[in-house]
Amino acid sequence: MDVRKITVAVQGMTCGSCVQAIEQRVGQANGVHCIQVSLEGKSATIIYDPKLQSPESLREAIDDMGFDASLPDPNP
Amino acid sequence: PPAAAMPKHEFSVDMTCEGCSNAVTRVLNKLGGVQFDIDLPNKKVSVDSEHSVETLLETLKKTGKTTTYLGTK
Repeated sequence: MDVRKITVAVQGMTCGSCVQAIEQRVGQANGVHCIQVSLEGKSATIIYDPKLQSPESLREAIDDMGFDASLPDPNP
Repeated sequence: PPAAAMPKHEFSVDMTCEGCSNAVTRVLNKLGGVQFDIDLPNKKVSVDSEHSVETLLETLKKTGKTTTYLGTK
């Protein structure tokens, strides 16, 4: 099975319930195997199936929930 | 129609912190065409809009918080 891992920067989370909401909602999305959201790190690390999700679709899923999400710079 | 004719819908949204209420603000602003007040301590959002209750409910639910419609104010 093809899996990929990405870390999305998430701004605007201030408490445990924000973290939980994202983990639950994005965790249920098609093609998402595993999601771990860090309040301190202001980020979400997602393991996903690239056939069903893309970095952009995952970013959008978090953005859609009302949090400012951005993908890591491909050319840091 | 005049703004005064628009109904004000009240929703209960399970917000626990500033981050939660900011998320609600963002999804409502994204939807557009809404005027709203967020009462964080009482976990209430009142929305002034021509969108249907269903649309507003769906939008609020996007935040992942438990949301219920309380009725018009």
